[in-house]
Amino acid sequence: MESTLDIFVKAIFTENMIFAYFLGMCSYLAVSKTVKTGVGLGLAVIFVLVVTVPMNYLLENYVLKEGALTWLNPEYGLSGSKTIDLSFLSFIMFIAVVASIVQLVEMLVEKFAPTLYGALGIFLPLIAVNCSILGGALFMQDRQYSTILDATSFAFGSGIGWFIAIVSLAAIREKIRYSNVPPALRGLGITFIVTGLMGIAFMSFMGVEYGKKKDSKTNTISGGAVETSQIINDIKQ
Amino acid sequence: MKALKKVIQNLDPKFEKGGKWEKMYPLYETLSTFLFTPKHVTKKGAHIRDGVDLKRTMFMVVIAMIPALLFGIYNTGHWHYELQSYLNPEQYGAYSDYLTGFGDKVVYGLFQVLPLVIVSYGVGLAIEFIFGFVRGHGLHEGFLVSGMLIPLIMPADVPLWMVGVATAFAVVIGKEVFGGTGMNIVNIALTARAFLFFAYPTAMSGDKVWKSGTTDVIAANDGILPDGASGATALGDLASFVGDAPVVAGETIAENASSAELIQKFEGAYDPLHAIIGMIPGSVGETSMIAILLGAGLLLYTGVASWRIILSFFAGGFVFGLLMNLIGANAYMDLPAYYHLIIGGFAFGAVFMATDPVTASQTQYGKLWYGFLGGGLAVLIRVLNPAYPEGVMLAILFMNIMAPLIDHYVVQANISRRKKRFKTA
Repeated sequence: MESTLDIFVKAIFTENMIFAYFLGMCSYLAVSKTVKTGVGLGLAVIFVLVVTVPMNYLLENYVLKEGALTWLNPEYGLSGSKTIDLSFLSFIMFIAVVASIVQLVEMLVEKFAPTLYGALGIFLPLIAVNCSILGGALFMQDRQYSTILDATSFAFGSGIGWFIAIVSLAAIREKIRYSNVPPALRGLGITFIVTGLMGIAFMSFMGVEYGKKKDSKTNTISGGAVETSQIINDIKQ
Repeated sequence: MKALKKVIQNLDPKFEKGGKWEKMYPLYETLSTFLFTPKHVTKKGAHIRDGVDLKRTMFMVVIAMIPALLFGIYNTGHWHYELQSYLNPEQYGAYSDYLTGFGDKVVYGLFQVLPLVIVSYGVGLAIEFIFGFVRGHGLHEGFLVSGMLIPLIMPADVPLWMVGVATAFAVVIGKEVFGGTGMNIVNIALTARAFLFFAYPTAMSGDKVWKSGTTDVIAANDGILPDGASGATALGDLASFVGDAPVVAGETIAENASSAELIQKFEGAYDPLHAIIGMIPGSVGETSMIAILLGAGLLLYTGVASWRIILSFFAGGFVFGLLMNLIGANAYMDLPAYYHLIIGGFAFGAVFMATDPVTASQTQYGKLWYGFLGGGLAVLIRVLNPAYPEGVMLAILFMNIMAPLIDHYVVQANISRRKKRFKTA
């Protein structure tokens, strides 16, 4: 099993929300004109992910998952006679949790930490509809982290990965602001190209093996390069 | 020379605005400034103009790369015949010696490497000209360097059409869409290499591409390499240390061999002296540390490259190499730190790629950070990521996209420091 630290590092680099899964692209592209706003949005994403993913983790493991309601009545458990599976509700429940938590947190932050509220500003409510937040919750569900600590470190890592992505994109956009880009590509067009080039650079972390395991348990994108070349070799033979 | 200048001066009005060949101005401008200093004069204010313009700066880099190119030509030939000596011991047996058959090796290398250079320059300059005509600017000089860098970081056997496709991709997507020379955010040559690396991994990595003609030898020898021969680079061998079947120069070593044994075998196969001279297989121009340092000397003497980046890049690699030694979880991590600097493309990347004045950090402190993190990341990717034996390319690409951010924070720190000074005073 991967350690908590592995999960953290992997979430930042190898499974970067932007460059590996293209999640949260709308705000990533829209709010990356200057580094300052990029930092604000990035911090908000880290914050919301770290709050909502553990919350959804609890919801998933104690309410939604098949047989998760054992604590109400042993009959509802996996081995009981009336097993309950509420996982069909997970999308709506997750998004409801995200939206309500963001609202709650916003009120609390406004009341008790006005400076932080001023720094996060409009970004906090904006984040409630960011795909990377729901994505974080769904990845958490899909990967079945064993403890809430793992889920939190995944959330924190994903947030930091998203932060790095948007802040570096913002710095690049500040740099190319006065470049003589062909008129048709100005604005979003060139930003997409920049994102693609950044994606190539982030490929450097694909295929890093975490932990000591060697039996290629790394699914989806990690290890893609090795597997592709192996497949190509197989085909050639 | 004077006569030539007169001819050009006479032609000048025909290419000016309203002249007969107005549309051909970019072509004319390129050729004339290639021979003589540009005729622009400063119209306003007091400026000191130097004859060293962008074109001459770039040309200096090309000259600095010539030692690496020449050595690369010889090295390509040498490893080709070294492999032949296994297949054909009577005819080429002595060729595995470095100096035997020097002429043959150089001729073979020329025929392998020169086409790469020609294709790279041809495709790149053609695209530059098209963009120059369409967008109404002169030919951008930046490609002089990129066009030479691209062949030097390819394996000698790479198909020419791939070089062409990669060059086209890098010039269009990496540079021209951003507005041409000086506007790109990632190094052009590295973009070309990364493109091939991810699109055609079998042509750019593995153990069949580094010695020219390996596939022919394999085909002639019933589908396997001859006994004792190896097609891997030093880095490829090192990457195998992490897996189940460690290999050094074609010799498989028992899985349970201790890391000290592995390192000893490795040092036997690739001793530091040969690695520094460049007598190891690899991409065309990257192997010889001496040739690269000659180029580095010229770049530093003329002030084209930043000593901060080169120095901190090497320092970063060395420090992270030591750090890996401290962890020492496998044989690769136990590799002496200085080895990281002399094998693979580390030196080449540090001297010619990381110092690219456009994509590197612009601030002085930023350059130190940029180089240090780049060198460190290169070693990290090499050691920790078995999918990519060579980490320098991706490390520099990564630092290219991080450079604007580093600059931003260096500038911000500067501003806040000065603000503080203002307040206390």
